[in-house]
Amino acid sequence: MMLAALALVAIVTQDSAALRAAPRESAQQQAVLWQGDSLEVRGEKMDYLQVYDHRRERGGYIRASQVRTQSLEPKDAPDLLAVVRFLRDTPGAEALGISYAAAYLKAAPAEAIGPEPFDALGTMAERLARRASAKRGKTDDAVLAAHLEVASSYGIGMQGFERDGRIQLCYNGEAFRRVLAMKSDDGQRARAALALTRPECVDPNLTPTDRNSLDAWRGDILDRVQLTNLPEYQKNRLRLRRAGVWASIAFERARQRQPVQEAANRALQELAGVNKEEIAEPDAAAYTDAAVRVAASRWAAEPEPATGSGLAVVTMPGEAGETCVTLVDAKHDQKNPLFKRCTYGLVWKASASVNAQQTALALAVQPLDSWRELWVFHQGEKGWTIDILPPAANTPDIGYLEFAGWVPGSTKMLAVREARVDGRFKRSFEVIRMDTMDVEKQADNPRSLSLFYRWQDPAWKRGTLSMR
Amino acid sequence: MSERLESLAQGLLALLTTTISAIGATLVGLGRAARRAWMLLLALVLIGGSGYELITHPPFKTLEPGEVGIRSNKLTGGTTEIKDGLVVVIPGLHELRRYSLLDQVYRPVRSSKANGEAPFQSIEGLSLGVDLTIRYAIDPSRLAAIAAKLPADINGEIVEPMVQGVIYKSFTRYSVRDIFSTQRGEIQKEIENELKPKLAADGIILRGVQMGQVDLPPEYRQGMEKLLAEELETEKMKYTLELKSKHVKQTELEAEADKVKREKSAEAAGNEQIIAAKAQEEAMKHVLPFKQKQIEQRQYEAEAEKVSRIKTAEGSAEARRIEATGEADSRHKLADVEAYRLETIGKVTSAQLERDGALISKNPLLIQKTMADKLSDKISVIIAAPPANGGFIGSALLGGGQAVASQNPQANAAQETQQ
Repeated sequence: MMLAALALVAIVTQDSAALRAAPRESAQQQAVLWQGDSLEVRGEKMDYLQVYDHRRERGGYIRASQVRTQSLEPKDAPDLLAVVRFLRDTPGAEALGISYAAAYLKAAPAEAIGPEPFDALGTMAERLARRASAKRGKTDDAVLAAHLEVASSYGIGMQGFERDGRIQLCYNGEAFRRVLAMKSDDGQRARAALALTRPECVDPNLTPTDRNSLDAWRGDILDRVQLTNLPEYQKNRLRLRRAGVWASIAFERARQRQPVQEAANRALQELAGVNKEEIAEPDAAAYTDAAVRVAASRWAAEPEPATGSGLAVVTMPGEAGETCVTLVDAKHDQKNPLFKRCTYGLVWKASASVNAQQTALALAVQPLDSWRELWVFHQGEKGWTIDILPPAANTPDIGYLEFAGWVPGSTKMLAVREARVDGRFKRSFEVIRMDTMDVEKQADNPRSLSLFYRWQDPAWKRGTLSMR
Repeated sequence: MSERLESLAQGLLALLTTTISAIGATLVGLGRAARRAWMLLLALVLIGGSGYELITHPPFKTLEPGEVGIRSNKLTGGTTEIKDGLVVVIPGLHELRRYSLLDQVYRPVRSSKANGEAPFQSIEGLSLGVDLTIRYAIDPSRLAAIAAKLPADINGEIVEPMVQGVIYKSFTRYSVRDIFSTQRGEIQKEIENELKPKLAADGIILRGVQMGQVDLPPEYRQGMEKLLAEELETEKMKYTLELKSKHVKQTELEAEADKVKREKSAEAAGNEQIIAAKAQEEAMKHVLPFKQKQIEQRQYEAEAEKVSRIKTAEGSAEARRIEATGEADSRHKLADVEAYRLETIGKVTSAQLERDGALISKNPLLIQKTMADKLSDKISVIIAAPPANGGFIGSALLGGGQAVASQNPQANAAQETQQ
């Protein structure tokens, strides 16, 4: 019995299991073990196993009921894989599942290892990271920290970013990269691609150059998944992710003065391809997120219009990276403009809209890849002035404010605003007074505002993504 | 041209004369033919013979293009220079010599090989062969004057000895190495310079001397080749080194270019980052007024809330004050009422007591009766010692003397009244 036990490994299945100095409940506790910890079995005494913990470099006794002994012979590999399959989708058992997956990879002969254990490993590591990032009570902290430590002892790398005053943990995706490199099926590839391209796992401190290459890589990874044989909700997930990524690529290309229409159209097409009937409940937020991202840079898909003789905007380069917007009309050319303003954001000339009296002009300007402002030039008593309206009064994050129409015979305009505030998306259709830029009325549906319903701009209605 | 016509006329005249004389002779012969038929036959033979002679040896010669003929008259001893074309040469009278005006080439074959018949000698005394080519031509302007002196074989009798006399001498002044490689042009020029006037004296123009292959002595060739190979090695090494240095230079330049490129791209990336940061800052700047507005709004709201609360508190305090005043008034009134009541009751009680006092004074046993009434439902049996003075048995319970007993009815009466 003793000899047989020597070839085994013991995997701890319970949290807070005690490693004791002697095979007695009253004996001194050497260490606290957590599920997924693997121990080398050196003997057996009564109800206890004599084990050695290589991670903590400590030996001792553990109650036999708190561990499962596993043989790591190739013939036992299918059993281990079965346990991995069982634990793969069991919340809270990630560390244990990772441990079993590691045992399987050790036991199975190299030629028998397919993409499945890596897929499972990645899925569990990702779920563990997500659990660790979610808001939780203090009691869970110790358990989660211990599980993360167990996972890291099996080589599961985690990256942490600070976002909204909290630490966001993300799995580095090693196992998913392997899945993509191996001959895997479409479902596995889709899961891997989705896990590798999560927007919340993009380091917010990346430089624009690194961000460009990362987005190009994300786009490439997502394009490698064939959608044909996937279930509809997974197709949707991939399309949403693609839409968000291509919207970012469009913005970056526009920044670098490269052709941008193709990328922007791609983003719009991917978003349009989403089957709204089949969106899974957890994906609703992702749908809004993708839609707002695409909406922020939707003007990239529109061709630049020819400047007419009336009120219009003309852009010219200012300092490095700066664009100067000049407001011109039939009497005032670019040298003597009505108004001039420079910005480091992207100016979407295609979005310029003039009211009937030629006394106001609305223009979309996008300073960040997912943040679009509305510039309103308007003529007052003291001449032309500009008001810049941000999508929300919080730190620039994700959002857009879009011009939706002029109210004839008054100094009011219609706009739609959609932004993420405190982690939740909020959309409102508004009537804005142009003299004070205050929101006079707002509603979550354009039908609820009679002014809005009556005077909305047809061009806006044709192109907007807020009415999705 | 006139000379030529003249010579042609002379020729024709001579031919005519000959013919006429022959015909005359024939006619004389014919006259006698009748007589002497054999004479006719002879004449025919003669004519035929001369005719044959004329056909086989015509008195004309043709000069090819590039040729010049010198015809000398044997009778007069005069010479005539004739260019290409037809020329009358009467056998026995004229003699024609032809000279080619085309360039001639002389190659001294015997000295072309180092191990040949007559190799050249270098300054070191080594035999070597040189493939020489001497190109020359007869000077046409001086041909008429010197034609008589020129030998039939110009090449063998004039050019060859003269060339050999010059080249052997020239080569002995140079080393093999000079001849082989470095001094070729000079040697060539030297030979030319020396040979030109000498040949010119004989009416020959030297066109040029070309030096071809130099055949070295075998042992020298080996050494030379070895040397050359070494030199080549050195040269190769030189070039290799040069190549290496160029390679180093290239690498350096590439590294420099790479560095510049990296610097540029880093600069570009830096600029991009700065621009992005500026854009973000700008966006934040646009948000701030709204945030400010929001804060102000909240401040106003708080202010309004404060004012409203103060007002409420004030109102409530006032209300309480009013309530308290009301309460105080009401209590005052109540107290007055109570005082009045007490006073009235006191008066009533006093009157009652007075009446009771009077009644007890009149009937002292009333106290005992009252007491017995009060105790009757609680006490069944009272054991008391009979008073020593033979008085009322309850006196001990009542505590004493008559004085006390006389006061007690009053107190009891007051107590009753209160109850």
